[in-house]
Amino acid sequence: MFRIKNKDLFIDNIIAVITIIITLLFLAPYLYLFFSSIKPPQSVFSSPPSFFPNEFSLMNYINAIGTDSIVKFFTNSIIIAVLSTMISVLIGALAAYSISRFKLKILNIFLVCALITRMIPLTSIAVPIYRIVSNLGMRDSRLALGAVYISINLPLIIWMMVSFFESIPRELDEAALIDGCNRLEAFFKIILPLTLPGLATTSIFSFMLSWNDFLFALLLTSNNAKTVPVALSDFLSVYNLQLGTMAAVAILFSLPVMIFTFLVQKHIVAGLTLGSVKG
Amino acid sequence: MKSKDKKIAVLMILPAIIMLILFFAYPLIKLLYDSFFSIDLFDPLSGSFVGLENYLSLIQSERFLNVILNTFKFVFIAVGLEFILGFIMALLFNRKFKTHQFWRTLLLSPLMLAPVVSSLIWKFMLSNDFGLINWVFYSLGLIQNPNSIAWLSNPRLALLSCAIAEIWLSTPFMALMLLAGLQGIPKSLYESAKVDGANSLKRFVFITLPVIKPVAVTAILIKTIDVARSFDIIWNLTQGGPHFSSEVLSTYVYKMLMRYGDIGNSSAISVIFTILLFLISSIFIFKIWNRNEN
Repeated sequence: MFRIKNKDLFIDNIIAVITIIITLLFLAPYLYLFFSSIKPPQSVFSSPPSFFPNEFSLMNYINAIGTDSIVKFFTNSIIIAVLSTMISVLIGALAAYSISRFKLKILNIFLVCALITRMIPLTSIAVPIYRIVSNLGMRDSRLALGAVYISINLPLIIWMMVSFFESIPRELDEAALIDGCNRLEAFFKIILPLTLPGLATTSIFSFMLSWNDFLFALLLTSNNAKTVPVALSDFLSVYNLQLGTMAAVAILFSLPVMIFTFLVQKHIVAGLTLGSVKG
Repeated sequence: MKSKDKKIAVLMILPAIIMLILFFAYPLIKLLYDSFFSIDLFDPLSGSFVGLENYLSLIQSERFLNVILNTFKFVFIAVGLEFILGFIMALLFNRKFKTHQFWRTLLLSPLMLAPVVSSLIWKFMLSNDFGLINWVFYSLGLIQNPNSIAWLSNPRLALLSCAIAEIWLSTPFMALMLLAGLQGIPKSLYESAKVDGANSLKRFVFITLPVIKPVAVTAILIKTIDVARSFDIIWNLTQGGPHFSSEVLSTYVYKMLMRYGDIGNSSAISVIFTILLFLISSIFIFKIWNRNEN
């Protein structure tokens, strides 16, 4: 018996070591980006390449923050992602509440439509959206880009929020109505606060979609409303020597996301599996 | 339902419907409509009805068929390897050790990373001037010269290189889904199999695989749709080149529109693209439907 336990422990240790090595190898490409960003600008990418920095420097970050256009792109990214998330979560929660509480047939059809739209290739609708926005003369405006994000986010938000509302007993609404609230008051004062965890999860997903989007930002913006992903792509396509600045911008753009995902992973995982594993 | 309730129900859902009509339904109809016309993006007054001509010329175009083939290849390589790697990671993390939670959280932290950042990282990892990958291969003695593999500019490797960036980005999601599936398997199943004398291989084949199958199928379908739709990584790494060797449907649509200004053709490609993806995802919808019925 003792021997078997020892053998098990041995296997467990080997698996632990393999797991840790694989995790580190897997994260190595990102670490490489990070280490590159803290090298002195002239030695960011050298031949032969070095993984670890030989010399520590924050010059790349100082260059990035000191560039007006880069600050503007970050401001755009933040404003568009925050506002479009707030609006789409509000609109989505209203729709989801309506779907879950007034079981109208047409609303169910709408939910299926919302699901279907999740599966349309975004490049396809990008073509007509580009034309619509151009015809309205709204290219390169934060408003147009934000409106597109709101629409793209809505189906997922509705899809997630409906299941949150379903988990709240209907009796609560009824009690609020009897107490003299109208529907909207019952929704905003009683029901919505109960779904705060759900709202947080949906907000995270909708924020991330807007924050990370590249396709629509590339199509619909040129300078004024340009967001960070497009700026990063510009660094790549126009061959320039500011590789260090680019690495710093990429880290400033993505490290908060990585740290955030690390810290609140439980909620994110709950959201991901809610939308997919459960079906 | 009371008529007042009906009014409120409609009012609450109206903003969502308006937004979806504006930026989903209307664009889709417009897409279909435009695909029957010949329109030049750079000449707003152009536009003549050509019927099915856009579609007919696409079907006869060898390049277009090649783009479809590339899309399938890309999905097959990327999703296939994501699944294998994700499954291995899920199996490893299913065995608990002391700091197991910490490492798992760390592994999953790129879950929300932007595709643009992934393409940027791999552009440098795979560069043949100062890329880390070639240097590692060279140091291991696998290649003679550190510049010898042109990952992104060799037509035979370009699509694979894009797939690497995609796999790196999406494997955590796959691992997460499969791990959730593995953790849903009751321990008692394994224990009773052990008592019955089944060895670990048999337990894996007869317990783990069948139980995890529905989750695996769902995960693969979700990823198939995502990867088929993906644009950012290929656009930033190769722009579909060299010589269309890594061109997939999404990048081809973009090129047709923004480079050649051919709205009719790019709309027709989009329609075919949408139908293809729709057929694949209808399997997915059908599956959800079935599960809800049960």
